[in-house]
Amino acid sequence: MATVKLTNVKKIYSGNVTAVHDFNLDIADKEFIVFVGPSGCGKSTTLRMVAGLEDISEGTCEIDGEVVNDLQPKDRHISMVFQNYALYPHLTVYENIAFPLRLQKNPKMSQDEIYERVTSAAQVLGITQYLTRKPKALSGGQRQRVAIGRAMVKDCKVFLMDEPLSNLDAKLRNQMRAEIILLRKRINTTFIYVTHDQTEAMTLGDRIVCMKDGYIMQVGTPTELFDWPANLFVAQFIGAPMMNTIKAQLTKEGNKYFVSPFGYKLEVTGDKGKLLAERNVEPKEIYLGVRPEHVTLLPEGQKGGFPVTILVNEMMGSEYHLHVQTEDGTKLVVRIPTINLSEEERAKMVSGTVINVTFEGKAMHFFDIETEYNLLTDNQYHGNDDPEAPIKSDEAKDELHPENNESAPAEEEKPIEESPKAEEEAKVEEQPGEEKPQE
Amino acid sequence: MATEKHSMSMSKKRTIVNTLSYIVLGLISIIWILPFIFLVLQSFRCENTGIVNYVFPKSFGFDNYIYLFSAETNFLQWYFNTFIIALFVCVLQTIMQFMMSYTLSRFRFKLRKPLMNVMLVLGMFPGFLTMIVLYQVLKTIGLTGDNAVPGLILVSVASSGMGYYVSKGFLDTLPKSLDEAATVDGATKFQIFYKVILPLCKPILIYTVLTSFMGPWGDYIFASVIAIGSETGLNVAAGLYTWLSAAMISDNFTHFCAGGVIVAIPVMVLFMFLQKYYVEGVTGGAVKG
Repeated sequence: MATVKLTNVKKIYSGNVTAVHDFNLDIADKEFIVFVGPSGCGKSTTLRMVAGLEDISEGTCEIDGEVVNDLQPKDRHISMVFQNYALYPHLTVYENIAFPLRLQKNPKMSQDEIYERVTSAAQVLGITQYLTRKPKALSGGQRQRVAIGRAMVKDCKVFLMDEPLSNLDAKLRNQMRAEIILLRKRINTTFIYVTHDQTEAMTLGDRIVCMKDGYIMQVGTPTELFDWPANLFVAQFIGAPMMNTIKAQLTKEGNKYFVSPFGYKLEVTGDKGKLLAERNVEPKEIYLGVRPEHVTLLPEGQKGGFPVTILVNEMMGSEYHLHVQTEDGTKLVVRIPTINLSEEERAKMVSGTVINVTFEGKAMHFFDIETEYNLLTDNQYHGNDDPEAPIKSDEAKDELHPENNESAPAEEEKPIEESPKAEEEAKVEEQPGEEKPQE
Repeated sequence: MATEKHSMSMSKKRTIVNTLSYIVLGLISIIWILPFIFLVLQSFRCENTGIVNYVFPKSFGFDNYIYLFSAETNFLQWYFNTFIIALFVCVLQTIMQFMMSYTLSRFRFKLRKPLMNVMLVLGMFPGFLTMIVLYQVLKTIGLTGDNAVPGLILVSVASSGMGYYVSKGFLDTLPKSLDEAATVDGATKFQIFYKVILPLCKPILIYTVLTSFMGPWGDYIFASVIAIGSETGLNVAAGLYTWLSAAMISDNFTHFCAGGVIVAIPVMVLFMFLQKYYVEGVTGGAVKG
């Protein structure tokens, strides 16, 4: 049993700078939880408070039912992997892994047991042949394995990882990600993993805690965050390329809802349409969110879509990332799988070509234009009672998805960025007791 | 054609600049090294012991060195005094300076920055400004004259924390995450220092050991004041200098030169073996600061 419970945890630095606001989270035994968010959102600070490397200014942190606020890191039964590996350069790989075991008292570990544990961990991680080397003679991936080995030899209740893959190159990161998934199965303990990479968060986490400016924006499974983002920030943070957001009018005719982006009228079909009706959402101007992968390319001549002009074409191998512009100047990103395209169609995917695209009602997301909250989810996060809470998404957008902006300079002119800021006192309607809708 | 002419003139210019630079550097080197060559040559001069107006001795021999180690002089006593002072200062100063640097680099506490600033400003004053006061204090507790050795150790060790800058610069370059990793691994603060940080500080430790040793080894001003009036309480620099007085120079100049060579030998040997670490220590501290 190793649950972690954070209750009203705050981190206030000198100068009254609050890095983490009222953090509340229950982590179940053997759960893999991922803290994700842009730089400065407080995810590492929260992890370090759990580790005992930062003092908790307010609130309590419980590990396995015991309040650990005043306990030393060594007494919290935790292991931690650091972003920069933090290997002891003067010690061999063997000694690095054995280090926590040698420090262990009550009972003191015998040399044989230490040897057994170290070699066993090294075998699991595939670093047996490097045990006599010093860290400087290892590659980045090998060093990270040693760091993980050092953390896993201890009998810990909670395994903490602070951006362990961010110093690795893309290929190695993918490989190590898969290894962490396997490691998790072997260790089978509670994991708290910090990353700014939404792909890592989606692939590793049982649940994800999406943070911004010290506030929790949403807690949920990867699917929940992807399909039912609580607000525009989460919607744009999770998923790559970033979700398209378009200012549109939500209208109601009888029991049916329609949206009118860039002069086209589209019916909201499927669960989303039903939910809008169930919640009796008032017709109003909204931000319409559509993920690039949910925009479909229509075959030439087929009616029902709307024409867009290709501005930039990014060939990713298995798919195209097309930066397109609608007739009214709105810019969108579209993901088109290459496998469905003929050679002739591929040849047309160049700048200046006009193509026909559409998206279905069930793929749409609706966000309040003032609060930026999802109209179809229960917004129980980000300190709804705190007028200081950062509810707007646009500030961090460039930081979260630099790739979108690098490849498409015109991205900056997206309508979402021109949107007016919500007033500070804007608060979201609380809808306690309502279950989150599932697809 | 124009390009060829241009490159020719560039090459000529570079040759002239290089030649002039080497001539100037050569002259400076000669000026710098001449006194040492002169000292070594004079230390082997046997024809007489006074000052002469030629560089190369007429007869070479070890008479001057033999004299130094004879019972006729206090040279061995001075040498022993210096060695004891340098040894104690070296050990104690290294420990204290390193503890100071570690504290200022690794811990955050109230008035840390003002403390560093005050020490920086105090360090700018030449040490000998406090000499008279220190002499009075040491005299009160009976650590002057013949008892100057412990007095001189005390003076050097007491101010050793002031020289924390280079070591702190080096320690600042060691990632804080090493301390944190060791903390999570279960190490106490002392274990972090002893098992993690200290082994990584070999270059800066050697640098500190060398500088701590060299300070009292070559000290003249403090030793000559604190041990004033004593023949046996002097260190080697102050002792040798007494041979340069008007009354003694004609009998002791070559002995003085031989003494100078003997004084230089341990430091030279230390530097030859530890040069690599010394450079690492200096540059390591300067990388990130």
